[in-house]
Formats: sequence, C-alpha cells, structure tokens
Amino acid sequence: MTPPAVRALAALWLGLVSAAACRRAPEPGDPVAGLSREERERFDRGRAAFDSVFTPETGLGPLFNADACGECHESPVAGGSGDEIEVHATAFHAAEALCDPLADKGGPVFQRRATEALRAATGIDNEPVPPGAQRALRSSPDVLGFGLLDAVPDSTILMLADRDDRNGDGVSGRPNRFLDGRVGRFGRKAFLPALREFNAGAFVIEQGITNPAVLTEELPGGVPLPPGTDPLPEPEIAAEMAELTDFFVRFLAPPAQARRSREARHGGDLFALIGCATCHVPVLRTGHDAPAQLRDRNIAAFTDFLLHDMGPELADACLGLASPSEFRTEPLMGTRLMTQFLHDGRAKTLEEAIELHGGEAAGARDRFRGLAPPERAALIEFLKSL
Amino acid sequence: MHALPLLVSLYILRPAGPLPTVLQFGPDTLVGTVHALDLRQGAFSVTTGVGMALRVVQLRITADTRAAEGGAALQLSALNPGDVVRVTGGTRPEGRVAYTIERVAPAPGRAP
Repeated sequence: MTPPAVRALAALWLGLVSAAACRRAPEPGDPVAGLSREERERFDRGRAAFDSVFTPETGLGPLFNADACGECHESPVAGGSGDEIEVHATAFHAAEALCDPLADKGGPVFQRRATEALRAATGIDNEPVPPGAQRALRSSPDVLGFGLLDAVPDSTILMLADRDDRNGDGVSGRPNRFLDGRVGRFGRKAFLPALREFNAGAFVIEQGITNPAVLTEELPGGVPLPPGTDPLPEPEIAAEMAELTDFFVRFLAPPAQARRSREARHGGDLFALIGCATCHVPVLRTGHDAPAQLRDRNIAAFTDFLLHDMGPELADACLGLASPSEFRTEPLMGTRLMTQFLHDGRAKTLEEAIELHGGEAAGARDRFRGLAPPERAALIEFLKSL
Repeated sequence: MHALPLLVSLYILRPAGPLPTVLQFGPDTLVGTVHALDLRQGAFSVTTGVGMALRVVQLRITADTRAAEGGAALQLSALNPGDVVRVTGGTRPEGRVAYTIERVAPAPGRAP
C-alpha cells in the first residue's frame, strides 16, 4: 500500500473512531462533552480534591458528617450517591408561615460526628438538636449533572410555577427562595440558589472545612468552640481547592439514560398520561449565560424545581418558604443508579416511593394504583431507564 | 491549543462571580432575612449564609439608622422577622452598626 493510501486509511479510521467516541454515552463520573485538554486536567484535579480525605490536622471538624466529599457521594463513582443519612432541623411557626432555620443554634444541619478534641472538651460526639425543633433526615444524592441543573435560568422555574393552581389540574407549585430572596433550586427543599454556594457551604457543614466563602465553623448549638478544638486558622482550604471541587461537580455529566425496551417506552407514555410529568417535567433547557459546555442544552432532569405539598405523611422540617410538607420535585435524572428513594431514603423500591407520594401528588399516585399490573411494571421500567 | 480558543475557554469558564461570604461586613452590604429586632435594646440580627452554612449576624441600630422600602421611608418598627433586607453598615468600636435597612420583600406570612 502506498504511503498516501495508508495515510488516507489512517485518517478514515481515526475519523470513524472519533465519531464513535463522540457518540459514546458518558459513563457515570465522566465530564460533559467539550472540555479542552486543559479543562479535562482541571476536572481530574477537581476529582482528586473531591476525594481528598481530611483529618483534624488538615481542618476536619470540629463538627462534621464526613471526612471527604467522596465519602457520601461515592456510588457508583465519585459524585454519585451514598447511603449516609444526615440530620437537619428547623422550627416552623405556622401562624406567621415563618421558618426559623435555627442558624443561631447550629442549624439547619446538625452534624453527626465530632473530632476527638471536641469530644474531650464538651463530651458530645454529635451536635444536639434543640428541643422542640422539627427533625428531618436527608439522604446523600448524587451530584451528577448538577452543573446543567445550575444552568437552567430562574425564568424557567418562575414560568413553571402555578402557586394558585390556575390551570385547575390539582397541582400547584411555587419556587422557594434563599434568605436573600433569590430563587432556589438545590436541596430537597429547593432552598439553595446556586451550585457554587451549594459546594462552598457543603465543605463547612459536611466536613467542617472553612474556605474563602465561609470563614466560620459550625458551632455546637451555636455556642462558641472551646479553646484548642479548632487549631487551624481560617480558611482551612485555599480558594483553589474549593474552585477545583466546584469545577469537578459543575462539569460532571448527567447519567446517560439506558436503552429502552418497548415496555419501558410504553411506561414513558404512561408516566405522562397519569400526570407524573406535571411536576417531573421531562426536559428543561439551560440558558445562554452558562459555560459553553453547559449552555443551550436540553436536559432530561424530570423536575420543575418547584415546591409541592406532599402531604402530612412525608412532612418534616421547613426551610425558607417551604413548609414542613412541601418538597422540591426530586430530579429523576440518574434514577437507574439509585438504590434508595425519597428525600430520606425511606423507600427501598420505586413502587414504594410512588406509594408514599401524597398531597398534590395523590392524584398521580392514585392513577398509578389504578393501572393494570403490566402497566405499572412498564412505568417502573421506564423510571429504571432514567 | 491556540491562544484564542484558550482565552475564549478561560473566559467561558470564569467563575460566575465572587461568592458572598458570611463574615465579610465592612462598609458594605449584607442581604439576608431579619432574624430578630429589638428597638429598645438597639439590637438587630440578620440571617445570611452560603449554601446550607447559615449564620446570624448581630448589628446595632442607632438613632441614625434609616429604613426604607421601594424608595420610601419605613419605620424601623415596621420590620418583621422573615423580611428580606439589604443592610448597609460598618464596624464601630461597639460592634457592627446598621446604617440603612432596605426591605426587599416582606416576610412570607405578610406578603400581599
């Protein structure tokens, strides 16, 4: 074969391989498409930061839930979900519809672990929840695709809202707002408005790692820390580590959906037909202001980011504008990787999770109950493909 | 990588903006939710935070502290827990002092 022919074949092969690579669906833990080599290196360094294990000598605690981001977000890969359950607590004043996040008493996240130094000084091995507070348990979600969720414009969330159920479908929905009035989207109560803040805050509330955005430690019950229990100066990590971690989380690709059988495709039709898609909105579009790899993209998030009343059975703690029984529509993106369901992981199967839907979701739940067994199975197959 | 794409990608991937910090409160602005107000004691506190790391910032109210809403003056006594406020202030020897308090949105139970 002549050299030009070899070069032509090589070019063709490279082109085919490249095309195949472009078509390959991302595996869990992969970045979104379109990162440059330098950005990919930064993503990998971000993964290392995400998996960094802290000790009291490197800033862990004094109160903490985990010693690494990757301790709770680990399955099946870094950025995935975890089996850890944490404790939140707030106080709801129903007469004024006012939620006290108990920030002056150590809330709303009450850490389950304490360093040896704090245990020795105070005798506590976790942060006590104030008497009378409403406790809530929260499972560890995966953070795959969170950069795309962050890139959905606020205007989309506001457009989906229907707080007075003006369309008469029995489902209302309203946005939550952060303390400063911004529209919320992250967290089971949609309290947090932005991924960067979600990540920066998590360093402190989950690991007790102060950073340039949060320079103060979590305090047990709001009481100052005893001398010697927090030996490192603040911030305990530099901006670079926080930014690397944010970069990693931001550019984690959402889990690719599984190939759907005919049964699962039928289940998708039923999902829409019985009203699940009213809140679990199948597709949202990211805005134009996002980074290039995340902008102007359709994302199969299956959420509306809105608060919906889920009934008294699920009610726990309030947060922001969310009453105890109001929860954000959980994104179903990545459902196929989950092993427990609902905000606190109480449901071990998808059927159980659907059965526990109440309040505004009772209609859809009842229609699910009314399906013939093969149809219910088809709908579950559809969910397992997400 | 050529310089232009690199510059473009660096521009695209720039941070979305400076993160708010919980501790910073110089002669600048703090936005959060009224936690408590005691005019007799001149005590005022605002809940703010980054992510789920929430903090209560204590401030003093003086005779010079002014409140407003929508450009119109507002009685300090009209402020309620849960109101979203933008506070300008600074640090004096006696502690943080609020200079102006602008109500951005009323508390949820008091919204029109």
